[in-house]
Amino acid sequence: MAGIVLKYKIPQFQEYTIHVQKYNNVTNSSELRSKLAELPFAYIDSKTVISVEQLSSAIYKAILETEYNRMRTRTIHSECILSLSPSSNIGDALNRFGIKEGTTDIIVIKIIEDSNEEPYDGNASVDGDLVPVSDDEFSTSADKEIIKTVCIPCDKL
Amino acid sequence: MSAEIIASIADVLTDNIPLTPISQGAEAVVFTSPVHPYLPKNRTDGDDKLYILKYRPEKKYRHPVIDKTLTKHRTLGESRLLAKLRLIDGLNVPKLIGCDPYHGCIWLEFLGEDLPNGHGFSNLKNFLWMNASDPYSDLVRDTMINVGKQIGLMHWNDYCHGDLTTSNIVLVRAGEDWQPYLIDFGLGSISTLVEDKGVDLYVLERAIISTHSSFANRYNLWVLEGFKSVFESHGKAGLGKYKDLIRRFEEVRLRGRKRSMIG
Repeated sequence: MAGIVLKYKIPQFQEYTIHVQKYNNVTNSSELRSKLAELPFAYIDSKTVISVEQLSSAIYKAILETEYNRMRTRTIHSECILSLSPSSNIGDALNRFGIKEGTTDIIVIKIIEDSNEEPYDGNASVDGDLVPVSDDEFSTSADKEIIKTVCIPCDKL
Repeated sequence: MSAEIIASIADVLTDNIPLTPISQGAEAVVFTSPVHPYLPKNRTDGDDKLYILKYRPEKKYRHPVIDKTLTKHRTLGESRLLAKLRLIDGLNVPKLIGCDPYHGCIWLEFLGEDLPNGHGFSNLKNFLWMNASDPYSDLVRDTMINVGKQIGLMHWNDYCHGDLTTSNIVLVRAGEDWQPYLIDFGLGSISTLVEDKGVDLYVLERAIISTHSSFANRYNLWVLEGFKSVFESHGKAGLGKYKDLIRRFEEVRLRGRKRSMIG
């Protein structure tokens, strides 16, 4: 099993290195929220993520769109959050999957393009307890009722 | 198979994703790969897992711009259909793993296995051939009824397959039994028309007649039995729909799949 931080590359996109971290008992989520635009990370409310597969599929889609098509949002990190959402509405996606005022469990994604960025030192400015990234950890903090409302397209409800 | 097609996709996916071609149709090539397109590698699930890649190569006889839009449109269409079908309770379709509409790639979970004694891959066709020595066993009967149920469930939800043949039904082992999975929705659609559903049933009936002619009558009755049971479970509304469908199915059977004489 992976260490406490999940670091990997997608076979098809070797030039990107992906780091995933998870923090519990986060105390500075409102501060993070106010600085979201400046911080080069994707902060995700871990209530909305149930597995590594769900998260990594969104990252894959984000990089795929960036490489082959065009970004719909301003950064690759916000693109990850958009890719989690079944709809293409950016504001909606950020509201649903992004961190809220009072979110305590946060998943952080950091994507580095190897050619033109410094390696990542692991500091995501989050005050909280770093926990291992795993399906088990994700499923304990996930909220299935919330996932049902955010992940199932509206016409299915 | 053309080495050029394999080279064109290997170029996109890089050497990190080894591909083995397993089948080619008019529009797409199907590969297996031991590498998942995006899951982090060091996970504990079995390493012998395979994944399916359905790749629609560029068609040189089309204008490049039209080719790109068509490929994108069809790849997306098939993926969306598959994702919606997956949400239907009780319906068995392969899980969609990923989709790259810009290169015509669809990643799916691998289903089925090789049948014992060299009977080939576990699709319905090979399964029926394997059981030809005891064609009316309970196992065959239950399997055919389950096939009918899958089709019934799909049609009840207003989805059509478009190319239902015995090789597009894959059997997945579930203990002693086999669970049918519908694959290849390349011609699939959402449709409320009885015509499309009647054609689905007719195409499957013809496929069974042509590949398993000696036992086809009984097989087709079993499929229809399973098909009917789904509609019956929805009471009066279900039965009404079922009757409309069967009436059209019989019409299609008399005239053939094509309604007009053109094309």
